[in-house]
Amino acid sequence: MFYQRHKVSLATPELRWTPFVTLLKKEIVRFLKVINQTVVTPLMNSSLYLLIFGVSLGRSIDLSSGVSYLAFLIPGLVTMSMLNNAFQNSSSSVLNSKFHGDIIDFKIAPFSTHQVVWALSLGALIRGFAVGAVTIGVSEVFHLVVKGSFLGIQHPLIFIYYLFVGTMTFASFGIIVGFWAKNFEQVNAIGGFILLPLIYLGGVFYSLENLHPFWRIVSQGNPLLYFINGIRYGVIGVSDVNIWTAFGVSVGSMIAMYLLSIRSVKTGSYIRW
Amino acid sequence: MLTHSFFNKIIGKYVIRLFMPSPILLNHLVKNYGKVQAVQDISFEMKEGEVLGLLGPNGAGKTSIISILTSLEKPTSGEAKIFGIDVALEEKQTKASLGFVPQELVSHGFFTVEEVLRFHSGYFGLADNKAQIDYLLNKLGIYIHKDKKIRELSGGMKRRFLIAKALVHRPKLLLLDEPTAGVDIELRNSLWEFVRELNNQGTSILLTTHYLEEAEKLCDRVAIIHLGKLRQMGKTAELVKNMTQRQIVFQLHTPTSSLQSPYVKSQSDKQIICQIPAGMELGELMGKIHLDTKVISDIRIKEGTLEEAFLNVLSEA
Repeated sequence: MFYQRHKVSLATPELRWTPFVTLLKKEIVRFLKVINQTVVTPLMNSSLYLLIFGVSLGRSIDLSSGVSYLAFLIPGLVTMSMLNNAFQNSSSSVLNSKFHGDIIDFKIAPFSTHQVVWALSLGALIRGFAVGAVTIGVSEVFHLVVKGSFLGIQHPLIFIYYLFVGTMTFASFGIIVGFWAKNFEQVNAIGGFILLPLIYLGGVFYSLENLHPFWRIVSQGNPLLYFINGIRYGVIGVSDVNIWTAFGVSVGSMIAMYLLSIRSVKTGSYIRW
Repeated sequence: MLTHSFFNKIIGKYVIRLFMPSPILLNHLVKNYGKVQAVQDISFEMKEGEVLGLLGPNGAGKTSIISILTSLEKPTSGEAKIFGIDVALEEKQTKASLGFVPQELVSHGFFTVEEVLRFHSGYFGLADNKAQIDYLLNKLGIYIHKDKKIRELSGGMKRRFLIAKALVHRPKLLLLDEPTAGVDIELRNSLWEFVRELNNQGTSILLTTHYLEEAEKLCDRVAIIHLGKLRQMGKTAELVKNMTQRQIVFQLHTPTSSLQSPYVKSQSDKQIICQIPAGMELGELMGKIHLDTKVISDIRIKEGTLEEAFLNVLSEA
């Protein structure tokens, strides 16, 4: 009994990986427990977008690049679903903990700040990729039905790179919102006034070339534009922005969000709502 | 087996104590929230293997001290050490060696009792902890509820669950912040019984409670804090002795003449009520008040309680 009681404090190496792996596992189990809400609903949303915009309205839209509107829409839709779900996963995990009161577990258990950030981010990344996979699946079905063939991926490595960096960036953003938010109103305000405009004005549904030159310049201040176009370049080889600029913005955004998420875990609010 | 367990107990409780740093050492600890000084220059040391009661009225600073020990809050100045390690410098080490039962009941969303305990074990580096989890669930009488979500448990069951959660990693130090608030008497007794058992196995326990009668029975020592300052600290029995008076009631079958003594608080034809320092014996009192024993039909003695000592300490503050 005496030996057993001293097991943990003497076995510090066990605190290096097991807490991180356990928290990551908990994050995955958490979203799988409500899979209808976390994976099936986004699949439904994407199907509706594809049906309304890609198939119905898309027939009357011509792009100068010669790419079909459906093929143009699919990468944007995949990005939107993945990034949005990554954000939702990490932010709701922290917010739910604040609501239930178990937020203090992050403080009283022997986690390092990096362990918390990485576990929450990777949990969000996995949900983002799960949603991305089903979105790609249903999109390919639509493309096959409408165009008679699957939509191929022109640059797979670039495609994977932007998916990873974009999802991690928005997962970190979710952590920041989760830890710094003091009430649900603040969260809703960030979702409604920041995230939603960024997503819808980031070029998911339209090309920059269709915008007035003034709005084209304004849009270039939206970091999401670069993730969407990076992924679009990866899939169909077409982008509204310079691919190297997109690379710089994506890396810069991910690093900035990661550093801010570290700060938010250290200085955030652990008070129960 | 008996010998082995006996030696473990002796080594754990007495020999190791000589070499182990204190479970808790507070050194000029200060915690301010804006202009509010919640903890004002508090210093004390907890002894290995003891049950220490941290007592005080609401807002005294008890939860602030516990929040600093659990790393939920940073001290404004001063230091708090757990087993010789500063909580502000080596959080991981100090967190791994303590278990914490918070005052507030918590829920865990979608997760069941067993899932939460499994995850919590992992947070403390224990990937496979089924034996300890099952032991705690059985010991605390919640094994049959292991597949229920936390929100489906009653208040008392939630308390038991929180204690199990705090003990999954077999901590050497257990912090109990009002663990029996709002709990019925039967469950309170069983929880205190379990706390005693843990203490007998060598776990040091810091406890805050408003049930002073129970604290008196359970705590080896108590520290009374008020308005952020440490007012009194010492062995429970000694503190009660020093800070209270004994009440002696003489029932009379024959009225007696008026007694002139500072120890006599009231006198009637049927009874005389005296108050004496806790160190004074009945014989000494009898000698001082010159009461004829032939008129006495009965004597009732009421010893001082921790509650009275507590109130006296607060009134002196």
